[in-house]
Parts: sequence; structure tokens; C-alpha cells
Amino acid sequence: MLHNQTYKVSAVRIEDHDDLATGFRCALRQLPGLLPQVLPQQVIIKPNLCDITAWETGVTTDPRWIGVLAGELRAIRPDVKLRVVESDAISAYKTYRSCDETFNRLGFLSAAHEAGVELVNLSTCDAIEIRLDGIPQAVRIPQLLFEEMHFISIANLKLHGYTRMTGILKNSIGLLTDAEISSLHPYLSILISRLHKLCCPDLCIIDGRIGLDGGGPILGRPLRMDTILVGNDALAVDETACRLMGIPSKEVGHLEQTARDLERKLGRVEVVGDIRPRLFCFDAAQVHSSIQSKFGNRRLHQRMEIFSNRWIDRGFQFRYDPLGFAKRAISKLARSRRGR
Amino acid sequence: MVDRLRLAVVGGGEVLERYHIPAINAVPEVVRSVVVDVNAERARRIADRYGFPISSVDLGDVVRHADIAVVLVPNGLHAPISCELLAQGIHVLCEKPMARSSEECLSMIDASRLGNAKLCIGHNRRFQQHMRLAKQILSKGLIGKIVKVQAEEGSPNDWPRSAAYFDPIMSGGGALLDVGIHSIDLIRWFVDEFQAVEYEGNGTDKTSESEARMRFDLTNGATGSLTVSRSRNLAQKLTLIGSDGFLEVGLWSATLALRCVKGKAFQNLDRLEIAVARRPPSDGSFAEQLRNLVSAINGEEDVLVNGHVGMAAVEVVRRAYLGRSQGALHRNAESK
Repeated sequence: MLHNQTYKVSAVRIEDHDDLATGFRCALRQLPGLLPQVLPQQVIIKPNLCDITAWETGVTTDPRWIGVLAGELRAIRPDVKLRVVESDAISAYKTYRSCDETFNRLGFLSAAHEAGVELVNLSTCDAIEIRLDGIPQAVRIPQLLFEEMHFISIANLKLHGYTRMTGILKNSIGLLTDAEISSLHPYLSILISRLHKLCCPDLCIIDGRIGLDGGGPILGRPLRMDTILVGNDALAVDETACRLMGIPSKEVGHLEQTARDLERKLGRVEVVGDIRPRLFCFDAAQVHSSIQSKFGNRRLHQRMEIFSNRWIDRGFQFRYDPLGFAKRAISKLARSRRGR
Repeated sequence: MVDRLRLAVVGGGEVLERYHIPAINAVPEVVRSVVVDVNAERARRIADRYGFPISSVDLGDVVRHADIAVVLVPNGLHAPISCELLAQGIHVLCEKPMARSSEECLSMIDASRLGNAKLCIGHNRRFQQHMRLAKQILSKGLIGKIVKVQAEEGSPNDWPRSAAYFDPIMSGGGALLDVGIHSIDLIRWFVDEFQAVEYEGNGTDKTSESEARMRFDLTNGATGSLTVSRSRNLAQKLTLIGSDGFLEVGLWSATLALRCVKGKAFQNLDRLEIAVARRPPSDGSFAEQLRNLVSAINGEEDVLVNGHVGMAAVEVVRRAYLGRSQGALHRNAESK
């Protein structure tokens, strides 16, 4: 039986982009109970750092969120341990992005230092392989997920060539510790839904001050949207983001899959506050050819990807970073020889 | 650093061919040297088949031609053979159980000290990937304080046993010493020392037991039970129940299930099955064990399962058997 509960999302207009703290506090005031009265010892913050691109482009998370969240959370529990997490990644453009370098170049290192927050590269911390229902291969997740925590996910308001939009739910892909996850792309909707079950955010923030129109999720036109969405339910916040971008949430595969798995209906969202939707237009011409091919020939691509992507990725890794590739290959070979 | 250690095997039984030969193949730091077996024909066959240049019935050939010896003989011969080799400076990897009694174990430790040689006991499960992962998870305290331990292992068809297994003098014990010692070692490694033990089994003075059950208290306050059998199929798993969850490891399969009540991942999930079987496809624990000994010889790390560790597990079994000889707890035998 489907649940008919309505989920609330707080939406705040924020015209002064530098006054993030006031906007966030306003969102919290609008919908009391967004932050708990009692926090566990540890709070994990997962931003969206999918590329080394400044937050003003609408691609990544603004590092100032660290200070804003630290202030609010420490007001609840002064000794709370705050950790910002992200993993290494190989983008759709087959470029390798080191998490540590991203933290540094996007200003997270200095922001974390100022706020007394720890930065964690999930790709280098203890991980474990698990099997998720519906995914044919095992995925690596950090052992951090076995610990008690309050989990905050901060995403951007963006289109995505493959999944139509990316928000809180898609942001959880960054919890996987492996950089190379393209072989999982054919199962993206199921994977996102399963990851949501595995690590469901307690507080979801979509920073829609600047949205990303056009291609996404890395290329596109920054669009002033002046909105912050805050809620406790990831699906409801993503649905509101869809509404804001003029995308029917039923057309977003991972939202539909998550709703099905949660035995919920889409559309049961009550927005508290003001949102001013604007139609985001997907522009295939702006999208990288690899994404275009995925979008245009999705079914064919899904099948081919399973067979070819690993080898393609290895080729790109070798081409762009032969030394790193050789190091990884040698350590992998050594591991397999040593039976690890 | 010593360059390529010469390796000898003493005893050419099933365990050699099934587990130790693949392990020797996987460790390039050792080179095959001698096979010694009481049966000259068998020693020659093993040497020819697996590329050992020398086959012999004389233990002296090990001293002359090897740096490491893998001792794979019946339990009653572990101590005399290992002591002879250790005292002459040969590093020894001795199959489990270390010996039949604490006295024999101590003699091996003394010989190792005397000959300045490394002694490693074949509790290979500590080197299994999923066991290491379990240890890592436990060391983080993810399931809280362990309050209960349950282990079950047994099958009528698990191993082609020779007559020595059933001779109480030569074997030193039955299912508990032969099969259960693995779980005893793991429980000591994962949780804590055994404090009180209570034993039930169907062995007699003339035959070693094929069924055994041991209830125990650990020094951390946990209680538990260990059931082992050579005559029926059991669950083949070790379950550790903690104040904040549980951890279940497969004793025959690379499986690991986990639940931590407070963990974020368990807000919506009852338990997680960890996929440890993907890499490597086969059990590499024997190779890891041999590699650990080689690294210890080269001074790179300590022996993980040294003589003291092996002796502690044997002592637990001896204490359990002592309860039997006093007649107080040997319920199955009494009922017969």
C-alpha cells in the first residue's frame, strides 16, 4: 500500500548571495524541526564537488556552507564532531578528479580549517564491499556509514544529461569510495534508490542560488534562481527542485524508483515558502559527446557500457595520467598476487 | 634481507597438496627444497609432482638443505619434530593444533628461543580476508561490547581423516582439538581470553570424540558456546553478539554479515551482507600465513600466530578435557 503522507520542504528566496547564514536560518525558522534538538556526536556533511569549478558556476557547493552549518550545529551541541566527506571520481569526460585537490582548490580546506571541521576523502578511508539488491556487482562504501551520525547532504540545482536532474538523491553516489563507477551507470536509478536506503540524509539542502541550465552536470549556463530548499526528506526536496526547474518528477528515473522503493507516491510535497519556477532547457549541443551518446541511445549504451567502459576508462587513465595508471596497475597486481 | 628462503615440507598428506602447495606457489620469496615423509615412495612422488629437488625420510636433510620447514604431521609428532628443527635454527610453520599439551607447546617455544628460529602456528583463518575485515570492524567497537558468542562447525565429509585422527594418544583429542581449535583461536583473537569452560562430548579413554560442545565465559564477561562435530553438518559460522549489534562470519565460506544498531546504514536495513568473496576467488590465507612467516624472518613484521598464541588455544582445549576427566561435565559419555 502506498503511503499518502505529505512531506514539507522549506523554500527561501535569497537575493544577497553572500548572506547565506541569514537565508539558511530563515529556512529553519519557516519549518521548525528541520534540525533535531539532540545531535549525535558526529555529523557528516556531503557536498556536491563533482568538478573543480567554482560554486558561482552552479556546478559545485559553496564552501561557506561549512561555516554556516558549523555555527548552527554547534549551537545545538558544542562538542559535535563535523566531517565533510567526498570521494575521488572519474567524470563522464573521463577525467580523474582527486578529492583532496578538489577540497584544496575549491576553498574547502581553508573553510574547514576556519570552522574546525575535518575533511575526509572517502576513497582513502576504510571501505567495505557490499552487494545491493538489483545491482549485479559489489560496490565499495566507507565503513564510516556503520557509525552513528547525523547526515547532511548539500546539492545544487542542476540538469543532468543522463538522469535529467541531479539533487540530493544523486549526490549520494559520491558516498561510493571507488572513483571508477561508470560500469554502474546502467543501474543508476536502482543504485541511487538503494544508496538512499543505506544512507538516508537527515537534512537535505539544495543550494539553488545559482542553477545550472543547459547541459549539466558540469557544463552549462549558470542561472540566478535565488532559492534555497531545505527539508528532511530527500525525495521531497528533489521533487521541489524538479518543480523549480520545470521538470516533471515522473520523468526522472531515480526519483520514480526511490518513490517505488519507499512505497510512496510522487507529488506529495508541501512547499513552505516561496518558489519561482523557471523552465530549465536541456541543450544537447552543450553536452559532451559521451553524455550525448548516453542520452540519445540510452538502451544501446547501457548494454555496451557494461562491456566496454572499464576498458575505455583504463585507456583514458593511461592517456591522461600514465604514471598514476602504472602505479595503480602495479598496486592492483601486487594486491591480486598477494591474494588481497 | 635473506634472499629466497629454502623451504622443506615434513609430511606429505592431504593438507600439503590441497592447501600448502598452492601457498608455496604464491610466495616467491621461498624456493622448494626438500620433502620429508616417513613413506619414501610418497615423499618421492610429492617431490616429483611439485618440483622439490630432494625427497627423503631423514629429518636431517631438512636441517642440511632448508631454512623453513612446514610441519604437516599427526598432532602427536608436532612437538618432537618441530623442537628438533627449531633447536637447529630452522624456522617452523607448524599446522594446528600446535601440540597435544601445554608442556609440548612450551618445549616448542623453548626450542625456538634456543635455536633463535621463528615459530608460526597454522591458525590460517586469522589470515582470511573476511576474518581480517571482521577484526577491523570489531576493533572499531561498531557492535559495542560483545556479550555472547556462538560458534558451530562440523561435517562428516569435511576432511579425509587418517587413522591418527582417531587415536587419542596420537591425536591428543577429538573434534574439539581438531576442528574446534580454529574457533577457539578466533574467539580469543576477536574477543578475549577464555575464563571458565564447560565441556560435553562423546569421547572415551579409547576413542577421541566426534561430537563436542563447550560452553564458556570470557574474561570480558561474555558467555558463549562452541559446537563441533565430525558426524553431522552444522551451521559453519561464528556469531558475535554485541551490545550494539552483531557480526556473523562464515567458517567455511567468505561471508560476513553485520548489524550495528546505531550505525547510519542500519536505519533502514536489518543487516548487511559484506561481499568479501569477490577478491580473491580462492582462499589465500595459507599463502598469507607463509608470507607472514617469511616477513618475520626478514625482520619486517612479527609472527601473527606465534607459539604463545598457539599454546593458549591448546590450553583452552586441555582445560575443557580436564573437566571431562573429572567426570563432572562429560554428560554425553556419562549417559552412555
